[in-house]
Amino acid sequence: MLVPINWLKDYIDVDVSPDELAELLNLTGTAVESIKTLGEGLDNVRVGLLLDVKPHPDADKLSVTTVSIGQPETLQIVCGAKNIKPGDKVPVALIGAHLPNGLVIKPAKLRGVTSYGMLASRAELGMGADHSGIYILPEDVEAGKPLAEALGLDDTVLELEITPNRPDCLSMIGMAREVGAITQRTMHKPEVTVTESTEKASDVAGVEILDPDLCPRYSARIIRNVKVGPSPTWMQERLQKAGMRPINNIVDITNYVMLETGQPLHAFDFNTLHGHKIIVRRAKNSEHMQTLDGVVRELDDTMLVIADADRPVALAGVMGGENTEVSDGTKDILLESAYFEPTSIMRTSRSLGLLSESSSRFEKGIDPNGTVYAADRAARFMEELADGIVNKGVVDVYPRVILPKRLPLRTDRVNAILGTKLGVDEISRICRRLEFTPEVIDRTTEMWVSVPTFRPDLEREIDLIEEVARIYGYNNIRSSLPESGDKQGGLSLRQKIAESIKLRLVAAGLSEVITYSFTDPHDVDKLQVPEGDPMRWFVRLMNPLSEEVSVMRTTLIGNLLKVLKYNVNREQYDVQIYEVGHIFWHEQGKELPDEETMVSIAMTGARIPDEWYEKARSVDFFDLKGVIEAVLDEVDAEGWSVRQFTHPVLHPGRSAELLIGDESIGFFGEIHPEVQAAYDVPRAYVAELNLNKLIDKANTVKGFTEIPKYPGISLDLAILVDGSISNDRVLDVIKSAGGSLLKQVRLFDLYTGKGVPEGKKSMAYSMLFSAPDRTLTDQEALDAQERIIRKLEKELGAQVRA
Amino acid sequence: MNNVSSQADLQRILKEGETAVLQASNLKELDDVRVEYLGKKGKVTAVLKTLGQLSGEERKETGKVANEVRQKLESDIASKHEELTRAEVAERLATETIDITLPGREPVYGHRHLISQAIKQITDIFIGLGYKVAEGPEIELDYYNFKALNTPADHPARTLQDTFYIKKHSVQPADDDIVLRTHTSPVQIRVMKSQQPPVYIIAPGRAFRRDVADPSHTPMFHQIEGLAVDKHITFGDLKGTLEEFTRQMFGKDRKIRLRPHFFPFTEPSAEVDVSCGICSGMGCRLCGSGWLEVLGAGMVDPNVLIEVGYNPEEVSGFAFGMGVERIVSLMYGIPDIRMFYENDMRFVKQF
Ligand SMILES: [Zn+2]
Repeated sequence: MLVPINWLKDYIDVDVSPDELAELLNLTGTAVESIKTLGEGLDNVRVGLLLDVKPHPDADKLSVTTVSIGQPETLQIVCGAKNIKPGDKVPVALIGAHLPNGLVIKPAKLRGVTSYGMLASRAELGMGADHSGIYILPEDVEAGKPLAEALGLDDTVLELEITPNRPDCLSMIGMAREVGAITQRTMHKPEVTVTESTEKASDVAGVEILDPDLCPRYSARIIRNVKVGPSPTWMQERLQKAGMRPINNIVDITNYVMLETGQPLHAFDFNTLHGHKIIVRRAKNSEHMQTLDGVVRELDDTMLVIADADRPVALAGVMGGENTEVSDGTKDILLESAYFEPTSIMRTSRSLGLLSESSSRFEKGIDPNGTVYAADRAARFMEELADGIVNKGVVDVYPRVILPKRLPLRTDRVNAILGTKLGVDEISRICRRLEFTPEVIDRTTEMWVSVPTFRPDLEREIDLIEEVARIYGYNNIRSSLPESGDKQGGLSLRQKIAESIKLRLVAAGLSEVITYSFTDPHDVDKLQVPEGDPMRWFVRLMNPLSEEVSVMRTTLIGNLLKVLKYNVNREQYDVQIYEVGHIFWHEQGKELPDEETMVSIAMTGARIPDEWYEKARSVDFFDLKGVIEAVLDEVDAEGWSVRQFTHPVLHPGRSAELLIGDESIGFFGEIHPEVQAAYDVPRAYVAELNLNKLIDKANTVKGFTEIPKYPGISLDLAILVDGSISNDRVLDVIKSAGGSLLKQVRLFDLYTGKGVPEGKKSMAYSMLFSAPDRTLTDQEALDAQERIIRKLEKELGAQVRA
Repeated sequence: MNNVSSQADLQRILKEGETAVLQASNLKELDDVRVEYLGKKGKVTAVLKTLGQLSGEERKETGKVANEVRQKLESDIASKHEELTRAEVAERLATETIDITLPGREPVYGHRHLISQAIKQITDIFIGLGYKVAEGPEIELDYYNFKALNTPADHPARTLQDTFYIKKHSVQPADDDIVLRTHTSPVQIRVMKSQQPPVYIIAPGRAFRRDVADPSHTPMFHQIEGLAVDKHITFGDLKGTLEEFTRQMFGKDRKIRLRPHFFPFTEPSAEVDVSCGICSGMGCRLCGSGWLEVLGAGMVDPNVLIEVGYNPEEVSGFAFGMGVERIVSLMYGIPDIRMFYENDMRFVKQF
C-alpha cells in the first residue's frame, strides 16, 4: 500500500523523519518496501500563467511565449510544443533549475530569440512518461507558486507491505492508528457532519438482504442532484500518490474514502436502479451481467450479487455493473457501504479472476461497524465537491450484528511465551495504545481484553500475546537459551554412514553435483529404457513449469549425463561426479509415491590429466569399479560380488550388477553407445547404487584382527588360462586350494599378446602364506603352492608359466 | 732377511701406502688400498708374518715399527674415508638438485557441492546446540505440508499457481492432495506425531515452489527448518538460539534483529535480519539498510501443537526456517542462484 505522509498527518502528528518512521514501522511488523521523496529536482520550477503565445519570426516549429510567474515582470520563453494557448497554466523551469531528468536550465538564444527558462512536459519533471507536450496544470493552481507545493509534491510516499493478517492497515486511518500505537500518540478521525434534506432516504430507496450469511450489513445513502465533473486538484493528487487514477468527482470520492477509512464504497446511478431497490442475494445459475470493465460475466449460485428489482447490478464487493454506472449525466446517487463475508468475496474474485481494490479489502475483512461512518464521510464530500443534497438518514440493514470480541489474557502466559516479566499495568498500557479495552480481573494474573471489530485477526489469547510482543518490541526481549538438559545432538548412525560414503567419494576424486528432482519424461527414451520398466513408473506433476521438468526422476543417470554434456560444451572434459538424491515412482494403492535415495556416479574424460611427470589416462571401467570398491571398503560390507548385468543403459560387455550377499545394491558400467549418442557425450561410466541398502549392509561393529607374529612366505605364480576365464574364478580356485595358510592373494599382472597363444591370457598372482603360531618352512609354502597349481590345472585347464 | 731390511721395507710400504691413500679418488679405490696393505694378504700383514723368523729383540723392534705403520695407515684411511664420504654426499646433493617450482603430484580429490557444505556447516552448529537431524519425503500430503501447519484453506500457496501438485482433487484443499513439499516443515509434523517432547531437531532438504528460474529463484531450492518443543520454551530462547547460530555462522561481531511478520504456523512470528558484514550495519550497496534478511522464525502456533497431540499449556516451542541458497549467495557473493544447479565444474571446484 502507498501511504503519502502528508495525508497521514491529517489524522496524527508525525514528528519523526520519513526514514525514522520507516524504521519504526519495519520493527513493528509493517515492512517498508520503499521511501519515495516526491518533488525532487523541482526547486526553481514554478506555476506559470501563459499571457501570450506568438509564432517565432524565423522558425516554423517554435513559438515565443510570455509567461507570468506571479511577479510584476514577465518572462519570455521560446517553446517547441503546440498544445499551449494563452490562459493555460504550465510548469516553468526558471534559470538555474536542475530537473529530475538531468537538464540544467540556462538562458539560451533560439534562432535569435532569447529564452529565459523552459516550459516543461510531465516526463521532463519526472512525473510519468508523457513528453508529447507541455504539462497543462489544473486551473485552480495559483500562478507563481512553487510547482511542488502547488501540486502537493512536497511529500514522501511510503510503500508498505501489509501482511494478510492486518487488513485494518489498508487505510490511512488504519495506518495512522498503527503509527499512533508505535509512537505513543493519539489518532484523530475526522468528525463528519452531514447536512441532510427533509426527504428521507428510507422513503425513496429499499434495501433487502436475502442472504445475510454472505452480507451481514448493508448501509446506503441517497445523494440527490449531484453535478458530475472533475474532483479538486488536492483530491486528485492524493489519489495519484496513493496509486489510483482520478476519474470524476463521484468515483474519486468513493475511492478517496475507501483509501481513508478502508471501507470500499460503490456509487450507483440511483435512477437506473429498477424499482429504486437494492436486493442482496446469491446469483442464479447462468445469470449474466456486464461488469464495469466491459466483460459479460456468467454467474453462479456461489456468488453474491447486488440486484435491483429485476437484475444484478453489481458483483457484491468485487465490481459494479455497467447498467447502473455513474455517468456525466447522473443526477442522483445511491451510495453503498456494506460488509460482505470475506471468504465468499475471495471465492468469487478468484473464480472470475477479478481482483480489485475493493475485493482485496473485503476478502481480508473490513470493520463491519465502520460502514455508516464511511457513508457519511463520502456523502459529506458529495455535498461539498459535487453540489449534492443528501437525503435524511442512512438505510442501514444489519441483520447479523458483529460485536467486539472479548478475549482472555493471562499475565503469566504472556511471560511464559515471551520470556519477559511484564506486569498487568504494562500489558494494559500496551492494549490501550492499540485501542483495545483491557479489564483487569485479578491484579496479578488475569484480564479480559475487548478487541475492536476492525481487528478481525485477533481471535485467541496468543494473538494478543503477539500484539503485546510487537508493541513492547521484539528487540527489547532478553535473549536466552533453552534450559532443558534433556537433549543430545548428533547424527544418527545411518546419517553418519551416509556422510562417510559421501566423503569417501570426494576422497576418491569425485565432485558432488545437485540436479533437479524433476526431469524430462523423454529422458528414459534417451536412456533406452524398455516399456514396462520401473524407470517408466513416473510420478507426474499436474502443473509443471514445462515438459522438460514434468515428471519426478526415476533415475539420476539422465541428469548426470546432462551435467557431463553441460561441462564438455564448456571445454571441461574431465568430469567425475556423484549425486545423492531421491528417485520417485508411482505405485498403485499407496497414499504417497515411493521414494528411495540413490547414490549415482558419472565419470568421463581423463582420470589423471596430462602432467609433466605422466601422460594422461582416460577413465575406464576399473576406475569406476575402484571407486565402488572404495565405498564398499568404507561401509566394510562383507561378501560382496559382481555379476554380469544386462541393462539397456549400459554396454553389455562392460556392465555389472553389485551384490552384497544375495541382495542387489545397484549397477555400474560403461554407457551404451546409443545412450552416448542420444546425450551427445564422450565415453562415460555410470553407477547407481541404493544408498539405504548400502547402509543396511554396513558393518558397524568392527573387530580386531591379530597382526601376524611370525614372518610369512611370499610366492608368485604365473599361469596361462583360457581368455574367457574370469579373475573371480581363478581366485576361487586359489583360495579353496590354498587353505588356511594362504593369507593373501593378489593379481599383479595380466597379459595377452606376444608369447601368449591366441585365445589365452597370462595371469600372475602374488600369494602370501603364513601361520599364526609358528614360522612357516619353505617346504610348507611350496606344498601349498603345489596344491593350488594342481587344482588350477584340473579345474581351469591352467598351465603354469616358467 | 734381517730386521734392518724389514724395517726399511716397512718404511717403504708406509710411504707407498700413504701415497696410495692420498691418491684414492673414491671409496672403492680406498677400500682396495686398505685390502692391499692391511688385508689378510696385504703388504703390512705380510711383513708381520715374517716376524717369527727374527730374534727376540729384533722381533720386538720390528713388530713395534710394523704396528706403527699399520696404525698410521689405518688412521690415514679413516680420515681419507671421512673426506671421501663427505665428498660423495656433496656430489650426490649437487647432482640431485631439482626444480622445486615444478607442480606437485596432485592427489585425486573431489569437492562437495557448496550447498552441501553449507548444510553441513549449519547442521554442525545446531548439533552442537543439542539438535538431531530429521528427514522426510519430498513428495508430501497436503495434510503435512499445509493443513497441520495451520495454513488457511484459501492461502495463496495452496493454488496450482504457487505449488507443484501431483494430485489435487478440487479447488478446495483436501488432506490427501499430494504436493512437492514447499518447505521442510512437514518433517517437523511427522517428527512431533511420532514422539513426545522434548523435540530438538533440524530438517535440511530440498523444497519446491512453482517459480520460474531467475537470478534469485529456482523451482527447487534447499531449506533448513529448526524446531524446539519443550517445557518453558520462550521467545527469548528463540532469540538467543538464533544469535548463537549467527555468531557461529557469520562471525562473532554480527548482530541480528527481529521484525514482526506473519506466518500461519508460528505466533508471534518474525523475520530475522543479520547485520551486513560489508558495512557493519551502516548501509551499503549489498544490503541497503545495513541488514540482510536471512530467516523466518516464531513461536509454534498452539494450533500446530494441538494438531500433533501436544498440550500447548504444558509445552511450547519455537521454529525457524532458512533458505540455504540465499545464505550461501550472501556469504560468497554469488550473483545468480541458478549457478548452483548448472554444476559447472569451474564453479563446483571453487569451493
Ligand atoms: Zn551493507
